[in-house]
Amino acid sequence: MSLISHCGGLQENSVHDLEKDEVSTGTTIVAATYDGGVIVGADSRTTTGSYIANRVTDKLTKVCDNIFCCRSGSAADTQAITDIVSYYMDLSSIQMGEPPLVRAAATIFRNLIYENRHQLTAGIIVAGWDKKFGGQVYAVNVSGTIVQQNISIGGSGSSYLYGYMDSQYKDGMTQEECENLVLNAISLAIKRDGSSGGVVRLGVLNHTGSIQRKLFLGDQLPKFYDNVLVKPQGDISGGDTTMA
Amino acid sequence: MALNYSSIDDDGAFSFRNLERNSKLEKMGLKMPSFRKTGTTIVGVTTRDCVILAADTRATSDTIVMEKNCEKIHYIGKYMHCCGAGTAADTMQVTRMVSANVSLQAFKFPDEMVPVVFAARSLRQYLFKYMGYVSAALILGGIDDNGSHLYSIYPHGSIDKLPYISMGSGSMAAISELESRWNENLTEEEGMKLACDAILAGVFNDLGSGSNVDLCIIKRDGTRMLRNYLTPNKKPATSKYIYPAGLTKVLAKSEIKFQITEETVMEVDA
Amino acid sequence: MSSIGTGYDLSASQFSPDGRVFQVEYAFKAVENSGTAIALRGSDGVVFAVEKLVTSKLHEDGTGKRLFSIENHIGMAVGGLMADASAILDIARGEARSFRQSYNVPISLKYLNERLSMYIHAHTLYSAIRPFGCAIIIGSYDSTDGPQMYMIDPAGVSFGYFGCAIGKAKQTAKTEIEKLSLKTMTCKELIKEAAKIIYMVHDELKDKQFELELSWVGKHTDGKYEEVSKEVYEDALKYAKASLDDDSGSDGE
Repeated sequence: MSLISHCGGLQENSVHDLEKDEVSTGTTIVAATYDGGVIVGADSRTTTGSYIANRVTDKLTKVCDNIFCCRSGSAADTQAITDIVSYYMDLSSIQMGEPPLVRAAATIFRNLIYENRHQLTAGIIVAGWDKKFGGQVYAVNVSGTIVQQNISIGGSGSSYLYGYMDSQYKDGMTQEECENLVLNAISLAIKRDGSSGGVVRLGVLNHTGSIQRKLFLGDQLPKFYDNVLVKPQGDISGGDTTMA
Repeated sequence: MALNYSSIDDDGAFSFRNLERNSKLEKMGLKMPSFRKTGTTIVGVTTRDCVILAADTRATSDTIVMEKNCEKIHYIGKYMHCCGAGTAADTMQVTRMVSANVSLQAFKFPDEMVPVVFAARSLRQYLFKYMGYVSAALILGGIDDNGSHLYSIYPHGSIDKLPYISMGSGSMAAISELESRWNENLTEEEGMKLACDAILAGVFNDLGSGSNVDLCIIKRDGTRMLRNYLTPNKKPATSKYIYPAGLTKVLAKSEIKFQITEETVMEVDA
Repeated sequence: MSSIGTGYDLSASQFSPDGRVFQVEYAFKAVENSGTAIALRGSDGVVFAVEKLVTSKLHEDGTGKRLFSIENHIGMAVGGLMADASAILDIARGEARSFRQSYNVPISLKYLNERLSMYIHAHTLYSAIRPFGCAIIIGSYDSTDGPQMYMIDPAGVSFGYFGCAIGKAKQTAKTEIEKLSLKTMTCKELIKEAAKIIYMVHDELKDKQFELELSWVGKHTDGKYEEVSKEVYEDALKYAKASLDDDSGSDGE
């Protein structure tokens, strides 16, 4: 995402500088609730300026067994925040004697991001399942606003997805329908967004209390029209074109 | 500049007297002296049963090579080493500190190998605290009871765990070698060769990297630190310049005749 | 309790040779002097009832209450020194508020009980401070966790209960509570029984005047802790007085 202004595309001085360019997850992340749980998904590209520092990143990060978060923004910031929240949730599950609520984790994310909003660049989607409220998705943006949503998209690639999600998401989807939606969305964003790419990682969280992971390599991604390389008739660049 | 530095009292420990002058000079085009940065190529490679780290040995300050044979693979623990790129002072300091903590940990649990993730986390937490101002880009490799591990740690404090890594100004040259040749079934020899070739790619194609190749092989039965494993830029041992007579070709000859007139001036007594 | 302190009862931080802490035991005494308070946990909620002794005719009705709300969904009944109880109430409300602040979810009774128990217990360890001279009963209802109830004594020891009593007539009250089949009863039934028990255990010879306090939290209140409505209160009062008259009639013969 363009949370970091210098993270996408080429800069004036396109040679990357380790010390100047922060490592950021120019990203596509998606989380969606379905009938019985949530699906989280992310691409796997991590960049420093125009350089891909990691092409197989795992941006679906565990907070505790039943709660995961999708990270976007500065890699260092989001990793550090997730570490802290993870600590609080581990502590809470011991104190309460049961798995923590997703809402509690999301609120801690929000508090940390909000209190340190001038120092941090972190956009995080918190998703998970708990006994009390079932599958939930919370989006915490860079400025520390928290919103509960049925479906949430984030990162630089999300700009390409708003319309698609509005048109395709329905309440009460099955797990399979929802998985397909998330996979399609990330695949589409990868094709259009320069700072998203690599593989697609999916995770399913439901009453089982732990994540079920899925991995889709570059050649296993769904194909869309942009892959169909059929020249339109009467191509303007063609030599002896007969205009219809 | 909101602050007027020249108005600050000089009675304290620090003097800010020249700050304003310097910033004006800088605006006029004066280049201020900078830190010594190691324009670097470092790589880490995991193989079937070991972790291999490699680095070049050039230390630069701006465009000047300050040191032709420096050490960039730092000791962390018995089964842990760390390649450093960035500001030389920072990489050395940060690895020294973590190395101290790792050895304390080793004393506490003498029957266990210190987890590599312990060092990785310590480095990360330190670097994150300093928000990127401690410019150390590190490749941490090692072995513990859970197997072999390779981490890259960036100056802002982000961690990636990967099977092969390159960092530094020569990382682009090095990663091309690694991306095209790495696989999960490399033998130790193949891994060493790959790591060396990746560093050589940096040495020969990146201005910030050069001189020799250091290698470090971490295995369950011990760590081998191979200093100057390759020396592709060795100066010839003797460097006398000998020009045998007749080496220069005579292109043309001409003869000029001189008529010598002798003239003597004598002092004559009057 | 009959043994004499003989110098070992001056501080909460000192044991007696037979392993007792007299200051804490005296705190229990303070609770036993107060009016009775009971709480019953039924199938769909928790009801509280308190015998609030009125020591002066000059007191305004409805003041000096002994039933409090800690959070939306948590109620508390206290027995013992009222000033001590309000200090604990303050702490409890602070705990609940700070929990909501950090997690954006209501505090669970289990966790609140743990925090309050530790707080009260911490006051039994040091010579510089006096143990709390009160016992508290906390109760809540939650759609997933159902009704819950805990009692904490002045030592900081706590248990979960289906029914419990503190104060002057706790023994008689407990005997009465044990006669009820709590697990199958609803709040609407229990509130009457609670009122009846308070009226039953009240000792008219020793304490002349008292005011009955009733409150509840349960499914029927949508998980909110509240004082019972005037109608419910009057109904319960009528039921209590009626059954008391029956009993005394049969007893008198």
